[in-house]
Amino acid sequence: MTQKNDIRWLPGFNWVTLFFFLFLYLPLIILVVFSFNASRSATVWSGFSLEWYVKAFANDDIQRATKNSLIIAVFATVFATTMATMAALALSRNRAVKNKSLFGGVLILPLMVPEIVTAVATLTFFSAIGLSLGLGNIIIAHSVFCIPFAYLPIRARLDGMDESLEAAARDLYSNKWDTLRLITLPLLMPGILSGAMLAFIISLDDFIITLMVAEAGSTTLPIYIYSLVRVGITPEVNAISTVLLGVSVLIVTAAYLVEKKK
Amino acid sequence: MTSAIGLSGLQKTYPGAPPVRALRNADLAINDNEFFTLLGPSGCGKTTLLRLMAGFEVPTGGKLTLFGEDIAHLPPEKRPINTVFQHYSLFPHMTVLENVAFGLKRLHKSDAEAKQVAQQMLDLVHLADFGDRKPGQLSGGQQQRVALARALAPQPRVLLLDEPLSALDLKLRQSMRAELKRLQRETGITFVFVTHDQEEALAMSDRIAVMSQGEIQQVGDPATIYEFPENRFVAEFIGDADFFEAEVLGGTEYKLSNGALLTGPRTEAAIGSQVTLFFRPEKAELKQSGSGLPGQVSEILYLGNSTDYVVDLAQGGALTVRSENHKDGTALADVGADVVVEIDPAAVRVVTT
Ligand SMILES: Nc1ncnc2c1ncn2[C@@H]1O[C@H](COP(=O)(O)OP(=O)(O)OP(=O)(O)O)[C@@H](O)[C@H]1O
Ligand SMILES: [Mg+2]
Repeated sequence: MTQKNDIRWLPGFNWVTLFFFLFLYLPLIILVVFSFNASRSATVWSGFSLEWYVKAFANDDIQRATKNSLIIAVFATVFATTMATMAALALSRNRAVKNKSLFGGVLILPLMVPEIVTAVATLTFFSAIGLSLGLGNIIIAHSVFCIPFAYLPIRARLDGMDESLEAAARDLYSNKWDTLRLITLPLLMPGILSGAMLAFIISLDDFIITLMVAEAGSTTLPIYIYSLVRVGITPEVNAISTVLLGVSVLIVTAAYLVEKKK
Repeated sequence: MTSAIGLSGLQKTYPGAPPVRALRNADLAINDNEFFTLLGPSGCGKTTLLRLMAGFEVPTGGKLTLFGEDIAHLPPEKRPINTVFQHYSLFPHMTVLENVAFGLKRLHKSDAEAKQVAQQMLDLVHLADFGDRKPGQLSGGQQQRVALARALAPQPRVLLLDEPLSALDLKLRQSMRAELKRLQRETGITFVFVTHDQEEALAMSDRIAVMSQGEIQQVGDPATIYEFPENRFVAEFIGDADFFEAEVLGGTEYKLSNGALLTGPRTEAAIGSQVTLFFRPEKAELKQSGSGLPGQVSEILYLGNSTDYVVDLAQGGALTVRSENHKDGTALADVGADVVVEIDPAAVRVVTT
């Protein structure tokens, strides 16, 4: 790249970049920093302490909400990823499926529907059919809206995969199932993993839909945090949020590494 | 003797608007233990025919047999036929040895036996020490040979090869030609080889089928295909040729469209009818004087082992003569020289258009 074409040589580039990253990350940095604050204040620094983490981990309500969130996320991830994998295989490999682009579009349409609409629709639907399974309701709702998130990376990976590999396996005496098991799935695994991680984070983080469909006793972590915040921001909230942030960063990094490793 | 592969009236039409008739009424018998080549320009249906044999496509009409048995509707894994893919298609998540052993394992050979045969196959393609590598760590030529070993390992009755050499550079391609011939001889497996390179086809094949637009134009051994093409397409596609429209005067005499007279082969065509004559440029001779077609050299193309002289004929039209240079390296004639082109009657062929 010549100096002239390099965007870094445009006037003011450094300042714009700095501002951009501050804008993005300053709130997060402040949140993390104050989670280690010794006093109750979320605005005035008065020394380092892990007190709030200890408090947060000892809090029964937080423990229960975390457990709920994890149960929901794990089940929703497994369901959504399984569905998404099957959909991706059908839409990119099965010659008998007609109108592939139509189905593909319908599948990712939920990404474009405002979440509040999905939330209201899900709630209405559940009460119409009288479904009341406690956490099950939330798991079903999460599985559904996680499918497109899991689907996209799986489909992208599948489309980038050479179909002649599967042809070669068939040619070498594998039937369809063995080909799926020995060739397609192993090669698709990075896509499946990143799809699953994405679904996991989306589920862990969901607020609006969960708020609508959650029954008493199925409070999740985001909802519990919200209820705390309404009472007032405490470093305890910062501490839970920091842990949540840490988990997300970990998963996203893992997804990135898996994808990069091919 | 039943043929290794038999086609009768085999058809493949891909649906679409309009539908693509990739293979029309193909009749063909490929013998056992033969190096058979499908040759034709891009889009003529070679890959389609190969995919029908392998089982990746289902014919829309006609019969396809393997040693007399109808296989048209068998899935690929039920056919004792293996394929060497154009881009090798090695399994990237397996080692070279696992790749080669894959087919054997699927045929329920024991691990030990599969491994042993796979190792023998790697020896056969001179890659004995590469078994533990991943395909990504091999050069293109080495991947090519792994693909060959993988396809040969289960000892198929027929091996299909779709332009396996096209991704290699010239030198490697030439050494792989000899290698493929050797493997075919040593294994005794019937090879069906696809290429659009006529030189490759002539050099390697026992027999060649020339294809064009979904139809088989001619089947024969390389010399027959080159020396006695049955139609103008085959004559033009294999090697170079000078064509003339001519009128049959009777006996062995023809009158070219520019008025010149030419002696050629005896023909069944009626006196006065129009035919197409052709000869190979290396079979004509360039003379300073004598009997033949007079003209003037208008262009010289130096090819190294020979030279092409484009001669504008005095009576109209032009033709190309290919000739070796003098032993001392000098050309036979310069641009602008007056020459006579002598064509031996035995070199002239009559083709249908
Ligand atoms: N799956 C398909 N659907 C529709 N048309 C196809 C399909 N595969 C091939 N064709 C068409 O069938 C014709 C023959 O294709 P084929 O791939 O057999 O040619 P080929 O001789 O192998 O050419 P090349 O030398 O370029 O590989 C072409 O016109 C091609 O566009
Ligand atoms: Mg082809």
